[in-house]
Amino acid sequence: MDPPPEQVNYICGDCGMENTLKPGDVIQCRECGYRILYKKRTRRIVQYEAR
Amino acid sequence: MGEKKDSLEDPTKQNQHVGKQLPDNPDIDMQFLSAPIKSAVDKYQLVPEFLKVRGLVKQHLDSFNYFVNIGIKKIVRANDRIESSLDPSVYVRFKNVRIGKPSVPSDGVDDEICPQFCRLSDMTYAAPILVNVEYNTQGNNPQKTRFEKNDVTIGRMPIMLRSCCCVLYGKDEAELARLGECPLDPGGYFVIKGTEKVMLIQEQLSKNRIIIDSDKKGNINASVTSSTEDRKSKTVILMEKGKMYLHLNMFSEKIPIMVVMKAMGMESDQEVVQMVGRDPRYSAVLLPSIEECANKGIFTKQQALEYLDPKAKRTYASASEKGALPVLRDMFLANVPVRQGSFRAKCIYVAVMLRRVIDAFLNKDTMDDKDYVGNKRLELSGQLISLLFEDLFKTMIDNVKKKMDEIMGKPSRSSRFDPAPYLCGDSITNGLERTLSTGNFNVKRFRMDRKGMTQVLARLSFIAAMGHMTRISPQFEKSRKVSGPRALQPSQWGMLCPCDTPEGEACGLVKNLALMTHVTTDEEEGPLISLCYYLGVEDLELLSGEELHTPNSFLVIFNGLILGKHRRPQHFAATMRKLRRAGKIGEFVSVYVNEKQCCVYVASDGGRVCRPLVIADKGISRIKEHHMKELLAGVRTFDSFLQDGLIEYLDVNEENNALIALYEGEATTETTHIEIEPFTILGVCAGLIPFPHHNQSPRNTYQCAMGKQAMGNIAYNQLRRMDTLLYLLVYPQRPLLTTKTIELVGYDKLGAGQNATVAVMSYSGYDIEDAIVMNKSSLDRGFGRCIVMKRYSAVLQKYENDTQDRILRPDRKGYGAKHMRILDDDGIASPGEIISPQDIYINKQSPAVTRGTRVPPSELPNIGYKSSKQTFKGPEGESCVVDRVALYNDRHNNLSIKFLIRHTRRPEVGDKFSSRHGQKGVCGTIIQQEDFPFSERGICPDLIMNPHGFPSRMTVGKMIELLGGKAGVSCGRFHYGSAFGEPSGHADTVEAMSEILVNKGFSYNGKDFLYSGITGCPLQAYIFMGPIYYQKLKHMVLDKMHARADGPRVLLTRQPTEGRARNGGLRVGEMERDCLIAYGASMLIFERLMISSDPFEVQVCRICGLLGYYNHHLKTGICSSCKKRDGMSTMKLPYACKLLIQELQSMNIVPRLKLAEA
Repeated sequence: MDPPPEQVNYICGDCGMENTLKPGDVIQCRECGYRILYKKRTRRIVQYEAR
Repeated sequence: MGEKKDSLEDPTKQNQHVGKQLPDNPDIDMQFLSAPIKSAVDKYQLVPEFLKVRGLVKQHLDSFNYFVNIGIKKIVRANDRIESSLDPSVYVRFKNVRIGKPSVPSDGVDDEICPQFCRLSDMTYAAPILVNVEYNTQGNNPQKTRFEKNDVTIGRMPIMLRSCCCVLYGKDEAELARLGECPLDPGGYFVIKGTEKVMLIQEQLSKNRIIIDSDKKGNINASVTSSTEDRKSKTVILMEKGKMYLHLNMFSEKIPIMVVMKAMGMESDQEVVQMVGRDPRYSAVLLPSIEECANKGIFTKQQALEYLDPKAKRTYASASEKGALPVLRDMFLANVPVRQGSFRAKCIYVAVMLRRVIDAFLNKDTMDDKDYVGNKRLELSGQLISLLFEDLFKTMIDNVKKKMDEIMGKPSRSSRFDPAPYLCGDSITNGLERTLSTGNFNVKRFRMDRKGMTQVLARLSFIAAMGHMTRISPQFEKSRKVSGPRALQPSQWGMLCPCDTPEGEACGLVKNLALMTHVTTDEEEGPLISLCYYLGVEDLELLSGEELHTPNSFLVIFNGLILGKHRRPQHFAATMRKLRRAGKIGEFVSVYVNEKQCCVYVASDGGRVCRPLVIADKGISRIKEHHMKELLAGVRTFDSFLQDGLIEYLDVNEENNALIALYEGEATTETTHIEIEPFTILGVCAGLIPFPHHNQSPRNTYQCAMGKQAMGNIAYNQLRRMDTLLYLLVYPQRPLLTTKTIELVGYDKLGAGQNATVAVMSYSGYDIEDAIVMNKSSLDRGFGRCIVMKRYSAVLQKYENDTQDRILRPDRKGYGAKHMRILDDDGIASPGEIISPQDIYINKQSPAVTRGTRVPPSELPNIGYKSSKQTFKGPEGESCVVDRVALYNDRHNNLSIKFLIRHTRRPEVGDKFSSRHGQKGVCGTIIQQEDFPFSERGICPDLIMNPHGFPSRMTVGKMIELLGGKAGVSCGRFHYGSAFGEPSGHADTVEAMSEILVNKGFSYNGKDFLYSGITGCPLQAYIFMGPIYYQKLKHMVLDKMHARADGPRVLLTRQPTEGRARNGGLRVGEMERDCLIAYGASMLIFERLMISSDPFEVQVCRICGLLGYYNHHLKTGICSSCKKRDGMSTMKLPYACKLLIQELQSMNIVPRLKLAEA
């Protein structure tokens, strides 16, 4: 019924590599081992109001 | 138009008139008078060089470096052996200690870390404390039982950023950027659990120094707070009714001083008199004390000790010794050592104290001033941490010792005993971390219990952080109503900023360091003491009492300890200074000859404030033109100036022996030193003010407080930070009118304000009481626009029954979907999305049961979870954006998520702005540019300020700033307004700026010819208009506005809640109530105090006056004490009143209501 969950990617705070995470994973970049990951910017269209 | 030209040209002519024609007048040479004083050498360049070497927070770094390199080693060396009490041959010995690289343990390996990582992931920036140990495990076993182990970690030491242990040490700008660090950030703070903590500089009275003071009754006393490595005590000798007594905590009562002298073996009264001084006035004052002692029948040491023994408190009685002698030896004047049982040094010390008391008695002028900066010491983070570490280290040693005895006590123990695991406990790590993060220093071993020693570093603006690092917290509690400590002390000159102090209760108590101040660290005493003897100080041991105070010989006192006397004190001082200038002894050793007291004070202790000065010989500066050229060429550094004896540091005491000329031209033959730059008397915050010397003094103080609230850039890495609250300006500018200090601290790179074109005129009536009229188009262009970033965090907790929180995929359909739009499929809001109030930013669930039997998370059904989603609560009707979302594992290895939510705001009516002259004001109204006045050149102001702001505040500096800014924009260069800078050329003169204005076709006085934007007619007056640097302050209407019609109530009293955060009611307080009573608006009071608050209907029994209840079946009220139905009345009273009645009843007080017909 539900569409399959969309894969969410996270960007390493050091090298910029894209990572995927599963529940229970240790937060760490697979490439460089840096321990802070950032979420990628939304892919939906956003309209900001410029005042 | 024609008229205007005239007005423009006139001053030009006048100006030329002044400049060219007056020199013909032989009496006054205007050009000569107005020219800057001929400064032979411009020494300004030394200031940036000083700051390059020493940095703005060098005192913190130096102190911490000293602790890490020397202090910690001393502590460990002093306590290096742990012996088993059962078998002394079993021991652990610390051979060396050092601090490793900052790291964090993960899976048994140490990962190196950098500060930015710690900030982001809530970690402590700490490095392991590594020791080399040697241990013997098996008593007198012939086998080899001595083992060695290197680099055992005994704990983790939080590391001060930019100290020598920090990874940032010695890095250049590019390397710092790579580590995510701002190159302009000064360091000097710690990162504890992700928050930046500053350990404030603590102000204290000098230790180990004699201070003469008078107590409440007017009795003169001499007190010494002794502090040695192992003992602390306070000794007071006071004069009461003409007799001298000793006050010491370890004695139960005050003791005649002569008895103490006799107990210390000074049995001859004559010798005491000789020691104090042969002047008959001294002996006359001393006579009653001697008499008292004789009357008590105490003549010998034995008698004296017998007299003292019962008075010595039992608390200080070591196991082996009892009585008064050990108290006298160890606690009485603890800083004076007793060598081989010889009390002579102590006797002489007492004699000197007596002499000073008698001096003060005979001549009140010789009383010491406790507020004098020379009598103060600044305690820095290194010293404080060293105390803390010593305590924790000793506790750890005690624990290891206990463990060792435990193991030794066992009849059958395994052959090898390895102490390493006992050393590796968490007690040191946790102790340091807890103390630094709470700021509560509770060190029982040193009887220290102080709160609020560390603070979260203020990151509101760059200057706030800088100002925080130079702040000095006071020794007194703030409640004391004395003016002395709050007043400006002349000795603060050049050391502490005269402007930067808070308003209100801490006014004058909290101080700030000036720009060039340095705080010393401890220096090795041994070599200095032997040097003193070598230079002709006659040893105390070899002097008779008679010789002590012979005329023309001065006592030499080293760090509060009397070394001996010198017959040629000036020569001695000069030699010491020569050696210091030659670099043979430390540059911060101070030599101070006190003619009044006939003493030479040599000081090498830590915590003295000092500052650099140029040395002058007979008024001629040692720094010559070529030196400065070499400096500019990069051949010289500040240190080489020091090494070559051109510059030296003077502390507050030694300044008294110097005659310091402000400028080289003012030096006379007696001058010994010349100031480097006058503006360095101000601190960092006051240094931002242009022309502060033209302002009324309190205005500068106000600006110092406001500069810390201004929004702007915080650091180069501001967008990579994740602070709980971050205020940023969208288009920050660098001030058009700068000062040298601004360039030195980097305010020109990280500004906090914008150059607004200000018209000083009245407009619209919305500008009264300091309100500002703002130009709508300027706001559209981005003036005063700011970003507020707020951090929200979420942690996926693990619980003791093995369950843990989880994040769910959001509902795309159904009831909750509306508020889950911004969630990705991982259940976490994604950056870039607009988030509005009530939106969910993390769709989290927590297990319903978190305790008891273990349940593997996979086996917990969906029903076992309850929702704990987090919803955004922001300002209604505003659009906030999710800026960044970071995921990391916290210290307990839980998944943590930080959300940074950004809100861009444009100025609105009620937002607070301020110039750099303590002139704050709120935005009164925003008006279309079309209605704004404009000049012929089409210049239209950004804001209009009411001229009534000037006369009473007398901020002339602001007017000059306007003039200079206007000249600056028209000629294209930045003008300077450094404090007291006109003579040295670091501030432009009004004449020079007016001339530029005239050349560019403006009026010399900065006034412009404006047209009204409403009528198009010229305004009746010329308007003073030009750019002024304006700061937007953090107080914004959006965060404060609040109104409520109905809302939540407090459960207990049923009254409306309090405060904006709880959507509380607006209170009609006592004073408002008084007004309404006075006016007679009784119904209004009734409504506000009852109807709008907590009305409640009660049943009152008219017979007994107690409260009854309402029976809903019988539809009547019943009195529960009379058990009767009749005689009940229904009335209304505040619920709080009913509560009070019941509470009184509960404690056996019966309030009865008597009803009357209303």
